Parts: sequence; C-alpha cells; structure tokens
Amino acid sequence: MSETLVEAVGLAVELGGRRIVDGVSLRADAGQVVAVVGPNGAGKTTLLRALAGLIASTGELRVAGEDPRRAAAQASARRRAYCAQKPACAWDFRVRDLGEIVGAPGAFTEWLARLGLDELGERRLSELSGGEQKAAHLAMTFASLAEPFGAVLLLDEPADSLDVARQVLAAGAIRRFAQAGGATIVATHDLSFARTCDTVVILAEGRLVGVGAPSSALTPAVIAATWGV
Amino acid sequence: MTPTRATLAGLAGLVALVALALSVGAQGFGWGDGGAWALLRAPRVIAALAAGLALGVGGAAQQAVFRNPLADPGLTGVFGGALFGIAILLGIAPEAAWQRAWLLPAAAFIGALGTSGLLVLWGSGGSTARLLLTGLGLNAFTAAGTLVIASRSGESRELLTNGAYGDWLGMATFELAWLPILLCLAATLVLLPLARAFDLLAFGEDAAQGFGVDVGGARRYAILLTALAAAAATCLVGQVAFIGLLAPHLARAVVGPRHAWALPCSALLGASLLLGADTLGRGLWPQAPLSAAAVTAVLGAPLFIWIARGRHE
Repeated sequence: MSETLVEAVGLAVELGGRRIVDGVSLRADAGQVVAVVGPNGAGKTTLLRALAGLIASTGELRVAGEDPRRAAAQASARRRAYCAQKPACAWDFRVRDLGEIVGAPGAFTEWLARLGLDELGERRLSELSGGEQKAAHLAMTFASLAEPFGAVLLLDEPADSLDVARQVLAAGAIRRFAQAGGATIVATHDLSFARTCDTVVILAEGRLVGVGAPSSALTPAVIAATWGV
Repeated sequence: MTPTRATLAGLAGLVALVALALSVGAQGFGWGDGGAWALLRAPRVIAALAAGLALGVGGAAQQAVFRNPLADPGLTGVFGGALFGIAILLGIAPEAAWQRAWLLPAAAFIGALGTSGLLVLWGSGGSTARLLLTGLGLNAFTAAGTLVIASRSGESRELLTNGAYGDWLGMATFELAWLPILLCLAATLVLLPLARAFDLLAFGEDAAQGFGVDVGGARRYAILLTALAAAAATCLVGQVAFIGLLAPHLARAVVGPRHAWALPCSALLGASLLLGADTLGRGLWPQAPLSAAAVTAVLGAPLFIWIARGRHE
C-alpha cells in the first residue's frame, strides 16, 4: 500500500469573513496525481494555498509527513512545492538563474529540458512568451524539491498559458514526478486532463461535492449539477 | 563583463575617486597645507563613502521588499522620517542631542522606522502608484513637520534647513560622525546575507514562502535594517533622494538582478555616486559647494521619470 502524502480532514479557510473552503477532506498517496476541479470561485486556489500552508486554515492537515502550518518554512520547502496559476517575477532574471535561486541548478536544467525549454537557459524572463515563462516557473517548482520520492507538488492551473505541445510535456512531467514516488495535486479547469488523473476532487462553493476515480466522479450528471452544463 | 570583473572595476574606480575627492579643497585641486586632506577632507570623504554604501544597499533592499524598482527610501519618505526624528529631538532637547553620540542616530532611526511602518501599512501590496503616493504623502508630512520645528527653533533652523537640502557632509568630523559611519557599515554588511531571500521575494509572497522564506520575518528584518541604513546616512548627509534609486538600477544593468551581486554592487555604486556628487559639487564651486543631494537630484530625477514612464507603458 502506498504511503499517504497529503491528508486533509475538515479543512476550512475563511478570508475576509467569508468561508472560502468549507470542511474539505481529501488525500493523495505517493504515486498519485489528484485533480481538483470546480467552477470559478469554487475555492480551488484557496484550497491549494491552504494545503501548502501559505494561509491560515482550520482542520487536520498533513503534507509530506508534517503539518505545513507549523513546520519551519525552509525545511518543508524541500518536501512540498507550490506553483501559482500566474507566477510573476519582479526582476528580469535569466532563465538559468531560477535554478540557482532555488539551489538546484542541475535538477532545474533537467526539468527545463522535460518541459521543452532546454535551449532558453540564457534568455531573460522578459524575452519569453507567457507560456514559456509559466513552464520555466514550473521547472523551478519541480527543481526546488530535494527529490520527488515522498514529496508533494501543488500546482494551480499548470497548463494555463501553455500551448498544446507544452501541455503534453507538462502532463508528462507531472506523471513522471508521481512515478518517482511523489504526489501531485493539480487545480484545473481542464476536465480532459482531470480524466487522466488518478483521483478527481470536485468543489463547489468551497464544499466537496464529489471525489473518486475520474470515471465515477466526473459523470454527466455531476458535471451538469456542478457546472450547470 | 562578468559580475566579478565589473565589481573589481568598480572598486578600482572608487579608489581613484577617493584620491580625487581627497585632493579637492576650498582652494581648488591640491593636497592643501598641513595635512588638510587628512584632517579636513578625510572625514567628509569617509562619511560620504559610508552613507553612500548604506544608501545604495538600502535602496536595493527596499526595492526587493516592495518588489518595485521605483522604491527608494528618499522618495518613499524614509529619509524624511529620519530627518523629522532628528528635528523633533533638536526641538525638544537641543543640548542633549550633542552631548550623547547615540541620541541623534537613535532619533533618526525612530523617525525612519515610523515612516517605514506607515509605508508598509498604507503603501504595500498594491500598485506602484499606491506605494509612491503613500511615500509622497509621508515625505510631505515629515518635511512639513521638520519645517515647523525649524521655523520655531532659532538655534537649529539653519542646521535643519541644510539637512533638508542634504548639505551636512561639510560638517563631518570623526568626533561627530564615527557612530553613524559604523552604523552605515553595519547595516550594509547585515543586509548582504539577505540576497537569497530577496531573490525569492521577487516571485511574490506565496512563492517565496513556498520556497522556504520566512516572508514576514525577512520583510521585517529588511525594513528594520533599511531604516537603520537610512537613519545613519541621514545623520551624515541629511536628506538625499535618488541614490537609492540610481545605484540599484545601475547595479542591475551591470551585474544583473541576482541580489548576491546586485546588493554589494548597489552599495559600491551608492558610495561612488554620493562621493562623486559631493566631489563634483565641491570641485566646480570650491567657495560655495553645491550639496551632494542637489547633484544627485540632477542625475536621478531624469532616471526616475524614465523608469516610471517605462513601467507605465
């Protein structure tokens, strides 16, 4: 039986007096890719940020063997990584700087190659397209972990801005990470991608409305009830 | 040019500039009589170097914390706060201010920290406009406060007016300036190890925290040290804008944006710019030197407009 790397029980987040995530329970085992889907405003991003320990939450939470809300930031950064939907950078670094900044230039170069950016290492971020920038940030996120085994990736819309070819490469990198013993939780609007994941978690208005294998969770009835289409 | 070569070239240029600065006196160029260069000019040159280091690295640190290339402690009211702190002390207890060496730097530090705190509270987390408008307001408020105290205080009026024009370097003696000089050097050295945290802060608070930075702690520490750097530099020069803008901007252009190089390079460029401005002001008008702040404003204001226009577009 695979080790459970993410376990949340009754996780809740309040922002500005509003309950954005309301008692969500989920788990992800080593080797799994879990998709979090739901309509706009369902609380996917907030859930991911809470799982990463970036915002205050209530409920039980264990990520890569520790509660990220109480763990030392530097230590937990080697075991769990988070990439925002629209990562941005204040300064115009060279692409290869990103690997040095997270202290893993070798791993960064490898992930960069897997995402099809291996020839762009000397470019400045401002010289990349939006999709290339997103892929460079994804490579940085992958590389920041000490090793995939036992680690957790939390990715918010990783395919956002990527062209079809790079979406395939990103999906391959995510699967490769899982095969190496990590767990990935992906917030996504892409139901086609979600169907390729091991588990789908469906959120609506902050609440869990469905969870399970894609074939059983993403039925036409559930899609109609959740998205109204 | 590699960052190492650029830094070495900068250091060599700074050494040449120091020699030039020591050779400029009230009678024009020359070493002067009776060791004038050591007795009269060396304290001024060392004060300008120390203040410039602190201004350069302080500007780079503030830009890193606010993730904004237009953040400059001179423009965001932190120097104004430092001078206002000094003005309050001189208004309340003018005698005590000169009896204890630590009182003036302490008052400047409290003033700088106060405006830094208000800047974080009201100006951060939003647009460049919000940051700069908050800084503008804080600058106006602290300048008005300093002016009110100066106008009510016969003894300190000229001193405070000169401070507001960044014209205190001429008063530098080792007896007056040793503590602010040490504080400038200390703030500079303690800010340098924050380079990695500053690099990661560039990706936003969530990303930086995700990559292992104690974001709240790093920001508080950097703001505290930037206030210390600004306070100590203000005690030496008075209020001087644009060094904290110019130095990091030029440093990033030369060695790139990685803070491991950009911070020390900003410090070196800050020292070169301030000393260069002071030397130019003294060299061109030996009898009535132009203040370093006036010279840096002539260079810095167009750059500020250029960067602001670039960001706006």
